[in-house]
Amino acid sequence: MSSPLHAAYCPDHAVLASVEVVENVPVARDTFRLRVTCAEMARRITPGQFVMLRLAGCNDPLLARPLALYDTFYETTDLTSDPPAMGSPAGLDVVYLRLGKMTRRLAEYRPGQLLEIWGPLGNGFELTAKANDIRLSHLMMVAGGIGQTPFLALAQEALGQKTYGSEPGRLPTVSRVSLCYGARSADYLAGIEDFEAAGVDVRLATDDGSRGHHGLVTDLVLDSLQGANPPDRIVCCGPEPMMAAVAGLAREHAVPCFVSLETPMACGIGICFTCVARVRDAHGGWDYKRTCVEGPVFDASVIEW
Amino acid sequence: MTGEPIDAVDLSVRLGRLTLRNPILVASGTFGYGREMAALVELQRLGALIPKTVTRQPRAGNAPWRTVETSAGMLNAIGLDNDGVDAFLAHHLPYLGGLPCPTIVSIAGAGVEDYVALARRLDDESAVAALELNISCPNVAGGVDFGTDPRMCHDVVTAVRNATGKPIIAKLTPNVTQIALMAKAAAEGGADAVSLINTVLGMAVDWRHRRPLLANVVGGLSGPAIKPIALRCVYQVAQAVTIPILGIGGIATIDDVMEFLVAGASAVQVGTANYYCPNATMTILDQLPAALRTLQATCVANVVGTLDTRAHGGPSHGDKH
Repeated sequence: MSSPLHAAYCPDHAVLASVEVVENVPVARDTFRLRVTCAEMARRITPGQFVMLRLAGCNDPLLARPLALYDTFYETTDLTSDPPAMGSPAGLDVVYLRLGKMTRRLAEYRPGQLLEIWGPLGNGFELTAKANDIRLSHLMMVAGGIGQTPFLALAQEALGQKTYGSEPGRLPTVSRVSLCYGARSADYLAGIEDFEAAGVDVRLATDDGSRGHHGLVTDLVLDSLQGANPPDRIVCCGPEPMMAAVAGLAREHAVPCFVSLETPMACGIGICFTCVARVRDAHGGWDYKRTCVEGPVFDASVIEW
Repeated sequence: MTGEPIDAVDLSVRLGRLTLRNPILVASGTFGYGREMAALVELQRLGALIPKTVTRQPRAGNAPWRTVETSAGMLNAIGLDNDGVDAFLAHHLPYLGGLPCPTIVSIAGAGVEDYVALARRLDDESAVAALELNISCPNVAGGVDFGTDPRMCHDVVTAVRNATGKPIIAKLTPNVTQIALMAKAAAEGGADAVSLINTVLGMAVDWRHRRPLLANVVGGLSGPAIKPIALRCVYQVAQAVTIPILGIGGIATIDDVMEFLVAGASAVQVGTANYYCPNATMTILDQLPAALRTLQATCVANVVGTLDTRAHGGPSHGDKH
């Protein structure tokens, strides 16, 4: 077992706020987009990071839920300046699946109701921040179920359409971004128009064949890896078996692959040790790492599936 | 406003040989190693900080799922995941020692020799204000035995007493028939104080798949759901021992804190609330002076153990003026 320095990972940029729901609208079957105003958090958050969201003053459900940044939004745009000034973001959107006790309640929330939120949390994708010297030709994003939610902001940033976070110099580094997106059926596919508007090449798969490829999203991944213009970077988010399969395909084709793990969390800030995943160390062993502070994004090659 | 100065309330508390600036602590295992909370909590305002339990050797902890939410609470079976005392001294204690709030180190072991060895290792560390003996973790084989057998409880406290000059707090489990007997054993063994309660043994089941929701099958229940159990335990222990009690169990608000103080706790530890309301301790500290003044108290000790059981009868009696 390794000896990870647990305290080296802290949510140093997190803020805690009570926020009002601005919008909470259905975008697909059992799927909703929630918009909250929280300027300070929106200014700091980067693609792949998440926030913890809790029903204010509620003891049942008691705990907050982790939800990935879908996108930030801007309230006012100064059209008098040229080019129009965006200002800084006013808040953020998350997309969630109505599944359990908390999200069933959340889906009934109306504008003006209060939520408690803390973030930004987690490491996020380091794709563009680190790799200014590496220009990727094709970033492929692979999503299963509700796993598409971290990828819109990533695509917009990678294509140079939008900036996130307070660090300057996060530059466009990718010439092409594709999305392989699998769901149970067509009615669960959420936000395809958002990805297409961002210029993402979207390929779909459904279990029942109601839209796109009739089969698994991994079929699309293999097809792309074997085709012309294969990806030189893969990011993946979805159910664990799917991520393990994509990681395997990426390894076989020697393409770097990063996964965003969807482990259950209680706190999101590294204090409860709930959300651990088995992560390999340099000595051939593994240790449980907290995905909330050391992830949720990991190099797929270090995950012990 | 009358223009008169607001009566000053002394928030400091004495827990045996340990004096703290206020009675609001954070419970072991619910606050990481402190640093994780620095962005959200003004650590210097805490009465004391108790980092995650330390063991002699590194422990990987239990397999996921390690926690599951239940009605107004949560079950956990983390399994004392920690990097061992060497890593704690090298990487966590230096940070904790630099904080203005005292650090109480929670230790656990499988045998008396583990507790003694840990106590000796920590005895010279000036950053350690006191030791809390975790003799009540339900998620580790043998971890709870010291907390359920009065003789073993007495002996482990005595052994640690002989190994260190630091104040000792024994953390007790509610998973016994008579918690007061355990508290007495700890007091007779030489504990400066007792803290209670650790989690209540429980489980959760997914009947559709016929499987437990925790990989460890059983785990410890915490959160608001266990507050009545914790209050009962604090009350019973307060009748049985004279050493101070640190109340723990579902504390999230100022009302919770005041209930524990009145029931007999000299201080409290906020636990699970740190997960779902990371600044719960700060809100409590903001409201504590006013709450104490409500009872005409000028110091915390004025309200500790002031429960009047003769007052039973409820609001219907209160109406007969």
